[in-house]
Amino acid sequence: MSREISYAEAIREAMDIALSEDDRTILMGEDIGVYGGAFQVTGDLIDTYGPDRVMDTPISELGGAGVAVGAAMTGLRPIFEFQFSDFAALAMEQIVNQAAKLRFMLGGAVSIPLVMRFPAGSGTGAAAQHSQSLEAWLAHVPGLKVLQPTTPYDAKGLLLAAIDDPDPVMIFEHKLLYKMKGEVPEGRYTVPIGKAAVRREGHDVTIVATSIMVHKALEAAKTLADSGINAEVIDLRCIRPIDRETVLGSVRKTGRLVCVYEAVKTLGIGAEISAMVAESDAFDYLDAPIVRLGGADCPIPYNPDLEKAAVPQVPDIITAVRDLVEGRR
Amino acid sequence: MPTTVIMPKVDMDMSHGTLSVWHVSEGATVSKGDPLFDIETDKAAMEVESPASGTLHHIIALEGAVIPIGQTVAWIYAEGEDVGDPPAALAQNDTAPPAKAAEPEVTSAPPPPQKQNSPAEPVIATGAGLRATPLARRLAKERDYPLYDITGSGPRGRIQASDVPDNTTRAPVIHTQGRDVPLVLIHGFASDPASWARLERELGGRRVIRMELPAHGRLIHDVPRSFADLTRQMRQAFDAIGEETVHLVGHSLGAAAALAIADTRSRRVSRLTLISPAGLGPEINGAALTGIASASRVESLGPWLRTLTHDPALISDGYIRAVMQQRQNPDLRQAQLTLADGVFPEGVQAFDLRAALDRMEMPTRIIWGKSDRIIPWKHAFCAPGRVSLNLFEHTGHMPQLERTAEIAFLLRQEAE
Amino acid sequence: MSDANDPWAIRNLTPETLRESLRKMYLIRKFEEGAEDSYTRGLIHGTMHLSIGQEASAVGACVGLSDSDKITSTHRGHGHCVAKGADMGRMFAEFFGKETGYCRGRGGSMHIADVEKGNLGANGIVGGGLPIAVGAALSAKRLNTGAVTVCFFGDGANNEGAFHEALNIASVWKLPVVFFCENNHYGMSTSTERSTAVKQIADRAAGYSMPGVTVDGNDFSAVAEVMATATERAKAGNGPSLIESMTYRWRGHSKSDRNRYRTKEEIADWMDRDPIPRMAEMLIAHGIMDAQGVAEMESDADQTIAQAIEFAASSPAPNLADLTRDVYTRPLI
Repeated sequence: MSREISYAEAIREAMDIALSEDDRTILMGEDIGVYGGAFQVTGDLIDTYGPDRVMDTPISELGGAGVAVGAAMTGLRPIFEFQFSDFAALAMEQIVNQAAKLRFMLGGAVSIPLVMRFPAGSGTGAAAQHSQSLEAWLAHVPGLKVLQPTTPYDAKGLLLAAIDDPDPVMIFEHKLLYKMKGEVPEGRYTVPIGKAAVRREGHDVTIVATSIMVHKALEAAKTLADSGINAEVIDLRCIRPIDRETVLGSVRKTGRLVCVYEAVKTLGIGAEISAMVAESDAFDYLDAPIVRLGGADCPIPYNPDLEKAAVPQVPDIITAVRDLVEGRR
Repeated sequence: MPTTVIMPKVDMDMSHGTLSVWHVSEGATVSKGDPLFDIETDKAAMEVESPASGTLHHIIALEGAVIPIGQTVAWIYAEGEDVGDPPAALAQNDTAPPAKAAEPEVTSAPPPPQKQNSPAEPVIATGAGLRATPLARRLAKERDYPLYDITGSGPRGRIQASDVPDNTTRAPVIHTQGRDVPLVLIHGFASDPASWARLERELGGRRVIRMELPAHGRLIHDVPRSFADLTRQMRQAFDAIGEETVHLVGHSLGAAAALAIADTRSRRVSRLTLISPAGLGPEINGAALTGIASASRVESLGPWLRTLTHDPALISDGYIRAVMQQRQNPDLRQAQLTLADGVFPEGVQAFDLRAALDRMEMPTRIIWGKSDRIIPWKHAFCAPGRVSLNLFEHTGHMPQLERTAEIAFLLRQEAE
Repeated sequence: MSDANDPWAIRNLTPETLRESLRKMYLIRKFEEGAEDSYTRGLIHGTMHLSIGQEASAVGACVGLSDSDKITSTHRGHGHCVAKGADMGRMFAEFFGKETGYCRGRGGSMHIADVEKGNLGANGIVGGGLPIAVGAALSAKRLNTGAVTVCFFGDGANNEGAFHEALNIASVWKLPVVFFCENNHYGMSTSTERSTAVKQIADRAAGYSMPGVTVDGNDFSAVAEVMATATERAKAGNGPSLIESMTYRWRGHSKSDRNRYRTKEEIADWMDRDPIPRMAEMLIAHGIMDAQGVAEMESDADQTIAQAIEFAASSPAPNLADLTRDVYTRPLI
């Protein structure tokens, strides 16, 4: 049975399933208990599973993350919520030096079945320290997997896949998506990690987007279709590992590539996708320069108009694609 | 202060020029007026002279670079002047058109000398000076079609996939515009379709279709073993053009091919112009032909190329280097030697088209230079009375190069 | 037969355990001397952090632990590893970067782990193991294993944020963990006097509402005694303790240390307090061993180390094609 629920509810449902299926699963995070989480994602799970399994941590991101790493290494399956993805900066040591490397460093003697969730992105007026998109930081680290679900269906299916995964999986959830509704089946299902989704088929240009930009790209594609431009929109879903074949196959078909992502454009996922295409045989199918649309090289500002201007918007995508397809860039 | 050497504006609507060849190397001494480098625009190719005497330093534009006009490409230091770091690319605001100067171009090694906030930083593009997308490059390669023969329709002349003719139309359609009867141009032995560029410029907007001889450029696999072979292939290519009537123009071996085509496709050829045609007598300068076809270095190519014109100075070192560049491929050179052996064995024209010339009923003209050192111009005298003869003094085997304006005048006149 | 005035270890540990503890102390000493020698001969690359002089601390801390109890270790971790029962051959093989090493040649000196024996691994980040140990204790509590986790760290780590966050969380959640600080007086070159606001690191315990004890880290019996109290408290569900074991490393911080921050006299003074003869004398004094037995034990240790080095030297090197193995459990798509 499938029904419409929100992205946040879909995540909660996945955690509920995991908690009910396996006693080793625990939730950790700041104010995830009776408060229900800063974005009400854990909600009332504490009522069902109690404070020993839905654990409020002190405001100690480094310590909390490290406890989660140690617990994962020794038999538990923690799901750790950062209140804001920005706070990952406080816990980088444990994420990058420990969680990502322990298995390798110990020659495969341990695994770290750890899930970390990061509410990310701008658009809430929370300014520079509560609005970042830092997924590329973590995606740069071998040993981690990094997901960016874009629909309620994927939010649930990818989280369950992450919980089943034996390695540390980092999930970046765009805050503006939490309220988005969509069809979600009841019960357990998983969405494979490392597989992109073609959200819209087209033959004129490939738009590779992540997170909320997938929705903006789809909206842009709709407008573009009215003027005869058929855009293919790929939802990357997972930026480590990247689904090479889906991206390259699409570029081979369309000959044009536009990458759209909210994180700062410079040195971001768009650079990786562009380079991946340029290094592959798909290069020889490019009939126009590659275009990246990403966040401005500045912190996210407070003023709502500035905030909007700092990240790609639908008209930016429309203009860029149109200029590209019509041969103006 | 060293003297700035810039990419000059040599054409009214020119915004960029391709620096094709440097004649002077870094650190060399030059005198004012010496040729410094060659440039090509989409209309012209020419030599740029040194604006000052001294030594050339800080060459920041590589050969093949596409450079906005007014941009500095090097500096000339007067004798005794201290050669330090390259000066910032200053004083360009006056000369560079602001819109273009501010526009970022593809930049590549070596880096510009100083990364200052100058509005017109030196811009260097490497590669063959051709802008083409990867897909266009791949298609051109697959279809064995030279990129330099393609006019790009993309931004800044970038060649895109749609600009590369597909295999069914690949034969000779190089560019066409307008609705008038097109000129179909067939180049001579060891030349290429681009050799018509200068004449085409003189012709203004006249519609032109360039054909390419087999064993030249892209068609080097199926080399004709005889003139009959050559004619068969050219006829097929001519048929593929699909124009109802054309004005057929050929040069040298290309003129022979034109005559042979006209002989069997007379209804589609409204006019025929033969420039220094082969096929009207047995003599030909076989040494020059094999010399050009086999040369693998500029040193051996140069002297032979200079036999093509009355004035050897017309063939500059830069021109020779550019021609050699086009002839780098040993397979191409071998194909042309094979062709030469088929049509001009042992330095003799093995085919005779005098009877065909007698049969021509359409208006026909022969143009020849009286200093031709490749084919004796007196072969023209075999022409029947209704064929016009235009004979130029002090002109060699390539009147279209030495008498461009006059040839264009003759061709235009016929169009009216 | 035991007297109330006898050392705690003599009264509470079996003769077999005591002899085994001395043997491990010899093995640690010989292992590190052997490692140093191999390094000098150019047989191993990288650097190493030697704990020569700290053997009583490592062995005293681990003597009461079973294989199900966990430890987290530090960059100066060879002693902890041996104390927790590691195999000398596999340790040396790791040093030599061989496929037979504990980390299959991927970790080296700084990351030796022996998960089977409960050693979750040495950590190259100062303070890195502290929150991880708390996590292991959380697992033990939730999974009811009854295990205790001993978290080794040095005096340098007590000024890391991770130390404070880890102690606080462990105390709030009453987790079965013992924070065992080996205070060897220097974080690289910086003395605790210059780096640490409190006089004794054990004083920090008060801030996290747990017992804090300072002990002579070169006295095996004293270390074993405070550890017994702390593990008992942990296993009873009363939460963590902080132990500060005062000791000294004879060697420099690492192989690049020129020893400019301490005097020869200070080093000589601590060398006079060598924990190994002290332990041996205690065992001889209480009739657990005789001098000849001790000498034989020492030469046995020499032999064990020689064999271990031979095993390591003759072991296969990792296959280059396996470079990215174990980055993930399953290869990425």
